[in-house]
Amino acid sequence: MLALEIKNLNKKYEHFQLKDVSFQLEKGYIMGFIGANGAGKTTTIKSILNLIRLDSGEIRIMGKDLIDHELELKQEIGSAFGDIAFYTRSKIKTLTKVIKPFYRNWDEEAYRSYLKKFNLNENKRISELSTGMKVKYRLALALSHGAKLLILDEPTSGLDPVARDQLLDIFQELVQDGEISILFSTHITSDLEKCADYITYIDNGRIINSAEKEAFIDTYRLVNGNADQLNDMEGKLIAYKKNSFGFTGLIHARDLDPSWDVRSALPSLEDIMIYFSKKESAYV
Amino acid sequence: MYNLLMKELKLGVGPFFYAMPFLTGALMLIPGWLYFLVTLYFCFITVPNMFAGYKTQNDLIFTSMLPVTKKDSVKAKVSVVVLLELMHIAVASIYGLISTRLYPNVTYFFFPPSPGFWGLTFVMLAIFNLVFIVMYYKTAYKYGAPTIVSVTAAILFAGGAEWLGIQSSFVSDLFKGAGLDNLAAQYSILLAGIAIFAIFTIIAYYIAIKRFEKVEM
Repeated sequence: MLALEIKNLNKKYEHFQLKDVSFQLEKGYIMGFIGANGAGKTTTIKSILNLIRLDSGEIRIMGKDLIDHELELKQEIGSAFGDIAFYTRSKIKTLTKVIKPFYRNWDEEAYRSYLKKFNLNENKRISELSTGMKVKYRLALALSHGAKLLILDEPTSGLDPVARDQLLDIFQELVQDGEISILFSTHITSDLEKCADYITYIDNGRIINSAEKEAFIDTYRLVNGNADQLNDMEGKLIAYKKNSFGFTGLIHARDLDPSWDVRSALPSLEDIMIYFSKKESAYV
Repeated sequence: MYNLLMKELKLGVGPFFYAMPFLTGALMLIPGWLYFLVTLYFCFITVPNMFAGYKTQNDLIFTSMLPVTKKDSVKAKVSVVVLLELMHIAVASIYGLISTRLYPNVTYFFFPPSPGFWGLTFVMLAIFNLVFIVMYYKTAYKYGAPTIVSVTAAILFAGGAEWLGIQSSFVSDLFKGAGLDNLAAQYSILLAGIAIFAIFTIIAYYIAIKRFEKVEM
């Protein structure tokens, strides 16, 4: 079953456009949504939460159309924005008291246990929480109202390595039973190497690739060669950087011709992001 | 809807704004003052501060992520504004009763507190609501221009009414003279004022819903 299915989203702004964004997330998995700043991650996430109006396209969550079943689906979605905080002067206690009556499946016991697990003190104000704690609080809320799909916008940005690692462990624990699915956007690619099952890469409003993580990386090769070899293969490279020995570039695995005799290796997610954005800027 | 209203009352409206009616209401005790100002303070102070709070606390996104309709979120905010307005008028009118008993022999240049005067106050707030709510929901976060325009409209009405009370012997008689003892006239004006307040606010509510549907977060 698909937890999330996005088909042909289009949204035009004055200086930016989402173009035919489509991808899907299988239930019980973690999808990392990567892209440079301004690539369209937050816009896509906002459309999944129905915060913006689409020009065209369709979003289905748990098989149901988002627009037709918005209220019902919002009962099952948990969300966190890494960089936006709400009612920061209020205590956790106060905020929870206001939020919980909105959810028909609120589980007070689960909430208590998550507070304990995440070390959240109910009497603290939101402004007193660290960035990681804020995300944990949002998670505690989402999980206590039985959210099946977590939509997290840059939950790990601004966290120290320890807090990030902890949060990623929590994500993995959550999806273990196969009930909860997570879509989280990030530009910290090492997070995804640790915990994502699927990767969706967006660049300049367009989905470049959305696939299972290993397959995603396997689609590309990082190649090293000398200047002569560069002449042979320049047209096939996604992008490349020249250096004193020759060049390093990214190429689609299917375009790699063994007769070129260049050194090739699997790229990291970061390599993929960097070379794709280089390609983009070459056209500008 | 009930949950949203509770959310507004607990998070959106700071305790200070519940105290405001008692502070501004006490201004009714100034003998012979321009009493329209008492409820205007709600428009001057409470409204922009409350809506600034919504803006700084990211209420728009906070509320939009809850499982609620856009219509209900407008309804909750409009209800809160109305609730506070009623509180301001109710408290001020009690102070008004005290004021008229404290100073029985004051000569009023402006309207004295009377049921008819409160009717006019309702009309003033009706105009304020219509302009403010409709303008605010164009963006659902910018409150500056809506406040300026709606306050100006309310002041124009209050100023015009006071001017008529000075210029027109009929109006002066009705609100400052023998008309004060004509309870039928006084309460008809009050009821008419309440009716206009209700109608204008409901119109504002429906236009606001239409506008808010188009707002993007």
